[in-house]
Amino acid sequence: MISVTPNALADSPNKMDLENLSPEQIALEIKGLNLHYGNKQALQDITMSIPKGQVTAFIGPSGCGKSTLLRCINRMNDLVDICKITGEINLHGENIYGRHVDVAELRRKVGMVFQRPNPFPKSIYENVIYGLRIMGEKNRRVLDDAVETALKSAALWNEVKDRLHESALGLSGGQQQRLVIARAIAIQPEVLLLDEPTSALDPISTLVIEELINDLKKQFTVVIVTHNMQQAARVSDQTAFMYMGDLIEYSDTNTLFTMPTKKKTEDYITGRYG
Amino acid sequence: MMKNSNKGNGNMKKWFRSGSPWIWLSAGGVSISLISVLGLLWLIASKGLSYFWPADLHQFELLDEKGVRTTVIGEIYDRERIPASQLAHTGIKLKPNQETIERLLIKTGNRELVSLDFRWLLVPQIQSMITPEELVVIERRTNGNFYGYIDALVLDGKEVALSQLPQLQERVDEFQEQIEALQKTDIGAINYKLERLRLKERKHTLDNSLTPELIQRFEKSTEKLKNEYLQLEKKLMALRDEISRDQLIVRAMDGQQVTINFEHILQINYNNQMGLLDRTLMFMHQVSAFIVDDPREANTEGGVFPAIFGTVLMVLLMTVIVSPFGVIAAIYLHEYAGNNALTKLLRIAVINLAGVPSIVYGVFGLGFFVYMVGGSLDQLFYAETLPSPTFGTPGVMWSALTLAILTLPVVIVSTEEGLSRIPAAMRHGSLALGATKVETLWRIILPIASPAIMTGIILAIARAAGEVAPLMLVGVVKMAPNLPLDGNFPFLHLDRKFMHLGFHIYDVGFQSPNVEAARPLVYATALLLVTIIVSLNMTAVSIRNKLREKYRMLEH
Repeated sequence: MISVTPNALADSPNKMDLENLSPEQIALEIKGLNLHYGNKQALQDITMSIPKGQVTAFIGPSGCGKSTLLRCINRMNDLVDICKITGEINLHGENIYGRHVDVAELRRKVGMVFQRPNPFPKSIYENVIYGLRIMGEKNRRVLDDAVETALKSAALWNEVKDRLHESALGLSGGQQQRLVIARAIAIQPEVLLLDEPTSALDPISTLVIEELINDLKKQFTVVIVTHNMQQAARVSDQTAFMYMGDLIEYSDTNTLFTMPTKKKTEDYITGRYG
Repeated sequence: MMKNSNKGNGNMKKWFRSGSPWIWLSAGGVSISLISVLGLLWLIASKGLSYFWPADLHQFELLDEKGVRTTVIGEIYDRERIPASQLAHTGIKLKPNQETIERLLIKTGNRELVSLDFRWLLVPQIQSMITPEELVVIERRTNGNFYGYIDALVLDGKEVALSQLPQLQERVDEFQEQIEALQKTDIGAINYKLERLRLKERKHTLDNSLTPELIQRFEKSTEKLKNEYLQLEKKLMALRDEISRDQLIVRAMDGQQVTINFEHILQINYNNQMGLLDRTLMFMHQVSAFIVDDPREANTEGGVFPAIFGTVLMVLLMTVIVSPFGVIAAIYLHEYAGNNALTKLLRIAVINLAGVPSIVYGVFGLGFFVYMVGGSLDQLFYAETLPSPTFGTPGVMWSALTLAILTLPVVIVSTEEGLSRIPAAMRHGSLALGATKVETLWRIILPIASPAIMTGIILAIARAAGEVAPLMLVGVVKMAPNLPLDGNFPFLHLDRKFMHLGFHIYDVGFQSPNVEAARPLVYATALLLVTIIVSLNMTAVSIRNKLREKYRMLEH
């Protein structure tokens, strides 16, 4: 079982009643979401609310659908031809799978960072302002400011401020991942999706990113997928445990790791499978 | 014994299993390819470049079987051994056991005296061979080379000392330059303007919009141009007159005296007096003249500049046309067409297009571009020149278009390959930042795929620059009167026919009246063609390498 410090057991100020959140507290509301890859059902009737300004983690064994669920939130699953989705995901009370939704606009509000760092083969500076360039921002000063703010938020500024115009591919893996995070937050999204952001990194880089996630929740709602339970316990406020496309249990992190209500959750967090 | 052979077998087996035989085999394959490439280059380079080297001039004294003595002056071009039996009927006396006879191919020039430039000499008939220093070779504008001795020099109608030859040559060169400038640039421009005026007038006639006022204006401008023309012509005549008063009196091998006007002379060389340095300089001069001069005498003499220009221009035009179309087609196939049976069929069709014989493209170009498209263009926009066609006839644009279609599959295939090599993470990264598919294509995918696109273009250039067969149908000619690019508006004349090095090789080597004389020229032109294609390719390769360095992907 994951060790959680005793005082964490006490009701933390962050603790929320996830069943009855007020509309202002909700960042995302997922309602009856089903997803099929061809004939195979990958997500079954997922319903959950993700609170604003907090870190929500999805955990579960490989193939449980946690990454798929994450990709539904910014409609990256649209890129898969055989993927069919029913149900709703509401952002500001509006269904992102509605008919008149501009997907590019949605993705600007819901940023995403992938497993492996994927900086573009451009300079560090160009990487960070990519999203702003797409939005048509040309003012040099605005761009310069955005680069500095984003890189500072991503805890990368001090390391790269002297080589902003060098290729991003010269950075280390951990730096690249922080650059990708800076790139995502440069366009000021509301929600930031992190898909196993540290799985390709060494322990020290992982630590830096985890600290960064703690800072990021001051500005953004963060949803993180991880296969590392310690990481979920360390960085998240809420944790959802998924298994075979089902959402098994969803509660605040302390409760889930210390007093799981479902047998499957307990088996998983005690390491019986997964 | 038994044991031994077993052991040998075992060793053999071991050797096979170690993989060494395959290494030897592949190394052998590589060496064979390398040797054939180097051999090819060495052959055309040595044969081609020796054409420019100033050779010794010899004077041969011959005594034939009938006891007739003759003198032959010239340079040795080739030597070979032939079976004696071939000469049996000529009645040449041979030693009883002699099976072969050596003979020399001598370039004797002097076309006004003998009908053939070349002559075979049998070595047994040669009594003596000397290389006198006073022998000269005179390169002329017409009638080929002249070999002989200079007897006298006539300047402005008066005989002068031989020592004045260099000054005289300089003077003549100056005149020649003036004449050329007058003929090519000034008179050419006036002719072009006159033709345009005539066409304008005809256009007005066809449109029924020719007013008396316009007629007057046209007549006035025509008059003016004609006057200019007459003046230039007078100037030209005066120059010609002046130059024709300088003459060279030379003595040929049989003692005949020949008068050569200086206006026909390009160069006078005492080859036998030249040292190694002089010869090297001469060699360089000849090579550069070959590259920058126009051809003379049905392409068998002079340079190949128009052919170089035509080849390069056509290839560049082709590149400009094929790159966007190929890239757009590849993007559609890879990004938008979806993965269905129709796309697969399209892809197979594209790949098979690369296997269609090139002459078929030529036929297509002639039928579709020249006759259909060109014919319609003429009807619509160039009605005034009809019945003589403007675009309805083979030209450099149709050649470039035809070759663009020929090379399209190459560009499509390699661009598609480049597109499919780009990791999905790049696309996803861009899309996740709110970029649309098109924005992702322009900003991320195409830059990363650019080295692959360049590879396609390199292959296209390599294929197009060496292609001759289709061009013979859609625009290449033996002799183009002007370059497709000149100083007359609109400067680039896409309707003009052009010369091409590949066709030049064929024409000089097999269609010229003087095949012996042309053979070294064939090698030289081939060497030049290879050099040009290689340099075009190297340029493209260096661009690609720069792009590769810039968009170097992470080794995931």
